[in-house]
Amino acid sequence: MDPAFAVLLLSAIAAAASTVGVLPLVRRPHVPLVAIGWAHALAGGAMLGAAFVLMTATPNRSPDVAALGALLGVAFVRLTHMASGTEDLDLDRLDETSGMYGYRVLLVNALHSAFEGVAIGAAVMVDLPFGVFVALAMGVHNVPEATALSAVLRAHGVRLRHAAGLAFVSNVPQILMAVATVALIRTEPSLLPWALGFAFGAMVYLVLAEHLPESYRKAGYTTIALVTIVAMGIVVLMGGGRGG
Amino acid sequence: MEPWAVVGICGLATALATGLGAIPFVFVRNVSARAVAVSNALAAGLMLGASFGLVAEGTAHGRWQTLVGAVVGLAFILGVERALEGRNLEIGLVRSADSRRMALMVIVMTAHSFSEGVAVGVSFGGGITLATVITLAIAVHNVPEGLAISAVLRPRGVSLWKCAGWSVFSSLPQPLMAVPAFLFVELFRPTLPYGIGFAAGAMVFMVLAELLPEAYETERKSTVALLVSLTLVGMVLFQRALG
Repeated sequence: MDPAFAVLLLSAIAAAASTVGVLPLVRRPHVPLVAIGWAHALAGGAMLGAAFVLMTATPNRSPDVAALGALLGVAFVRLTHMASGTEDLDLDRLDETSGMYGYRVLLVNALHSAFEGVAIGAAVMVDLPFGVFVALAMGVHNVPEATALSAVLRAHGVRLRHAAGLAFVSNVPQILMAVATVALIRTEPSLLPWALGFAFGAMVYLVLAEHLPESYRKAGYTTIALVTIVAMGIVVLMGGGRGG
Repeated sequence: MEPWAVVGICGLATALATGLGAIPFVFVRNVSARAVAVSNALAAGLMLGASFGLVAEGTAHGRWQTLVGAVVGLAFILGVERALEGRNLEIGLVRSADSRRMALMVIVMTAHSFSEGVAVGVSFGGGITLATVITLAIAVHNVPEGLAISAVLRPRGVSLWKCAGWSVFSSLPQPLMAVPAFLFVELFRPTLPYGIGFAAGAMVFMVLAELLPEAYETERKSTVALLVSLTLVGMVLFQRALG
């Protein structure tokens, strides 16, 4: 399959998976806070696992290039957060109903998904099965992420189908960035270790800046640690052990 | 000298190197909540990075064995947490939640050194021709571990010498395990992925259940995220450069 077509399909599926995350809200309009905490821990664990798998995929001969890419990734996420004034935004404030707050939460989610797109694109350029695996991991990650997002949207009076729509739309940057990453690496193959490192650094930062702090506030530390480790373990177990 | 004695001495030398990790904390005097949070983030990045390296190595030996080891490592630290919870640990004037966390840190890092000792013994692999190179590599690798331990102990008011002492203590299982692993390589080699999984499981849990939540309590989440990701990237690069 042509990588450009494959990445479009894979990232679209991963983005669409986010709509599944709305399902728990069909029956219960008010999700308990603890459950939102677990959803963040699940999403964070899966993302850390995916970051680990990307790390093992970087060729051993270019660790310094990948490390520079990772630093760029960390810097880039931080700068986008700071430029938009969202670096310390609480993502799950159910009591805050201003329109501005809702807009900023959606913005953070859209930025978040753009960096995931780089991960999917770089993985597809390693090889197709690896791309399928990372896209799958990101798709699974998108489900609890969308549960947390739509719980906030629902609490602010957004209708269920609009919450599902917004969850998907906030993941559209993932598709765009995935395709752009593939296009870039195709014209300049030497950028692959840069892109893998970039995605690694960006994902690690996102987990630490968004998923983990949000989850600790809502559930016990031990539970959050275990949920995160189980999600991470499953992703690592299925995709680990690919020496570059 | 007997080859096994050389291995033991090399192991002891690498354990001593762990104490060097206390040096950057010469200038840390203030015992503030912020210093604790920043140091926690630092230790978390070092330990997460070390665990990433360990898991990459363990899954190369056998992923299911690594998984079993990690589950045992998790069970171990959960058990230790329970055991410490009931006790009223008072180390000097330190409040008891702090001393519990410090004790847990030393226990986790000491337990993880057992599997490293096995790795040292096995890597000598019945020959000590590369002794200097291996010893130097492991000694350098141990410094960040001392750094992580000192990062947890020092801002809570433990003296510099004691930080160095506990760092060295946490690596003493290395010479203890390296000698039998060297003498009975074939017997010990298959246990490697289990031990590696154990070390990674215990360290990741320590990071996620103890170090990070406390860091987020006092420091801005964007600052914690930056510190942890930078140290993690640095640690991964450091390990790749050594390996």
